[in-house]
Amino acid sequence: MGGVATRILTVEDDERIRTAVKLALEDEGWNVAEADTGEVALESFQREPTDVVLIDIMLPGIDGFEVCRSIRRISDVPIVMVTARADTHDVVAGLEAGADDYLTKPFAPKELSARIRALLRRTRAGEPGHAHLRFGDLELIPDEGVVKRDDEEVHLTKTEFRLLTELASSPGRVFSREVLLERVWGYGYFGDGRLVDVHIRRLRTKIEADPANPKHVVTVRGLGYKLQA
Amino acid sequence: MILAFSVGALLLALVLSGLVIGVTRTQLVSNRESGAVVRVATNANIVRSSLGIDGGAANLDLSSLQTPEGSRPIVFQRVAGADGACGTGWSAQDPEFSCETLPPEIREAVLAGAPSKMRFVDRNDTKSLVVGTPIADVGGAYFEIVSLNSLDDTLSSISFTLFGASIATVLAGAAFGWYSARQILRPLDEVGTAARALAGGNLDARIRRLVDPDLEPIITSFNGMADSLESRIEKDAQFASDVSHELRSPLMTLQASIEVLDNNRADLSERAQSALDLLAEDLDRFRELVEDLLEMSRFDAGVMHLDLDEVLLSQFVGHAVRSAGFSTPVVLDEEVVIDDELGDVVTALDKRRIARVLANLLTNAEKYGDGPTSVHVTADDRRVRIMVDDGGSGVPEEDRARIFERFNRAGQASRRGTGTGVGLGLALVDEHVRLHGGRVSVEDAPSGGARFVVELPRVELHPSDDDDTGMIG
Repeated sequence: MGGVATRILTVEDDERIRTAVKLALEDEGWNVAEADTGEVALESFQREPTDVVLIDIMLPGIDGFEVCRSIRRISDVPIVMVTARADTHDVVAGLEAGADDYLTKPFAPKELSARIRALLRRTRAGEPGHAHLRFGDLELIPDEGVVKRDDEEVHLTKTEFRLLTELASSPGRVFSREVLLERVWGYGYFGDGRLVDVHIRRLRTKIEADPANPKHVVTVRGLGYKLQA
Repeated sequence: MILAFSVGALLLALVLSGLVIGVTRTQLVSNRESGAVVRVATNANIVRSSLGIDGGAANLDLSSLQTPEGSRPIVFQRVAGADGACGTGWSAQDPEFSCETLPPEIREAVLAGAPSKMRFVDRNDTKSLVVGTPIADVGGAYFEIVSLNSLDDTLSSISFTLFGASIATVLAGAAFGWYSARQILRPLDEVGTAARALAGGNLDARIRRLVDPDLEPIITSFNGMADSLESRIEKDAQFASDVSHELRSPLMTLQASIEVLDNNRADLSERAQSALDLLAEDLDRFRELVEDLLEMSRFDAGVMHLDLDEVLLSQFVGHAVRSAGFSTPVVLDEEVVIDDELGDVVTALDKRRIARVLANLLTNAEKYGDGPTSVHVTADDRRVRIMVDDGGSGVPEEDRARIFERFNRAGQASRRGTGTGVGLGLALVDEHVRLHGGRVSVEDAPSGGARFVVELPRVELHPSDDDDTGMIG
């Protein structure tokens, strides 16, 4: 886990935080690159291959949300948002901008490492016999990490893909948010259900013909979500 | 209010009408009396002349007398055999009103030579006035009986008109009063609605502009108040958010740095390691205190959101207890209304907040109550109760309300100095629970210690609440 070559780009304007987090992450065995503004981060991201991006929302110049959206337009790299406020709309806005997960300051760098490992974990759904899954106009090839709608490939982030394959592992079964939080993000019972809700929403905009009236990824009120043909 | 005014006005109008009628009546009666007296004198003269000319009662023509409607003349002549008693010597225009009709007192008084008048009620129950005058020359007398009934008719039509007008005026006044009161109160209704909306957390609530210029100042000042309240609350929220950022940044640096030190603790001397542990522990405490203060300031700024999720209650409580680092047994009490399919109580609550409530109560029991002994869960159709029992000596009656105040050490004075802060734990419990529309209290546990009871309304989510955030003021 956390291979030597894994490169984490941390975008943080506070130099002291940046330095301390870099030291702690390096202790965990990650290779850490730094950026103090969104502009620098985007430049660095395009120049060097990056495995995970850590973005502070409050940045001078272009803010964290915009950095996130810009990266998301060109890459499905895992993104972790860092916010100083957990109970505001920042979290949902960050997730909707394309972040895979979020942490609230002050967090333990060990916790961040665990989050990164969960995001980098390869999907285990590619078991034999599940090479091709078909749900109406939707086709899923877990081994290749490919999803097609009407035979056209749909571009999903790693987390969206894992969420979809998790639901596809038992079509028709209802998955509670807690179960999805644990299997996709590695959280326990008290994970933030908004992670699931926002990702489901994003997934629907990509794989549903009419995201407002989903046919495949269906909400089961009070219980969770399920996948159907 | 309007009713009281109306009744008052009606009473006043009736009293005034009564007075007017009384005065009018007296006036009319005395007018009629004096008119009758003058007329009787005139008619008596006429009678005397005709008696004087003809010298006999047979020729007396009473119909030639000028008498108004309702006035009946009666004449007495001192003829042979006439002794004044009814019979001989008496003649009347109308046989209905003869000597017998006259009250004996006035008959005797007039025959004795004194002009008299009196009111009386005749056999037909008619109020009447009789005026009599002696005709001295011939030893006779002239009487007129005047009916006062026409007067009563006049009076009753006047009183009918007066009372009718009073009632009509009062009714019209009441209707107008009601209408104008409604016109005046309608904006007050709007003020009430807007104030309730503001109190309910809808800071955009304002009173619509109305056409009534009299109310403009009230509306302007109310809306002005709402504006400043809104900006004040926004400023408070902004302040809390700024403080939050300012405090969390150095904490972040501290946290990461301490972790780096801890990762490399093998390189540190034993003394440095002890110092590092103290530092790490107090950083945790400080972080918790900052979190609590920020949470409290958000409550004070009124910018709290309830993130409602449906949970299986006893399962949730179990998770919350374990994730707070306790292994206290969770008991689903009898008399619990459970969902048969799911085998547990289903209710919607803010998981983070109620987990925090339980963690704070368990920590409180740990610090001041010799540790939590059990957590009980009960529910009926309307509410759920989560009870945390401890093995301590309980909370004295007089401290039970104060214990939920901020930084209150009620009942824990003897335990001070152990190094653990009192903090905001129970005050936050109170705030979180009240945000849910519930309440927290403390009583004696059956086993002897303290029992903290969290009572929450049992909530079912509506489809639209699915993944929504409820704004609570």
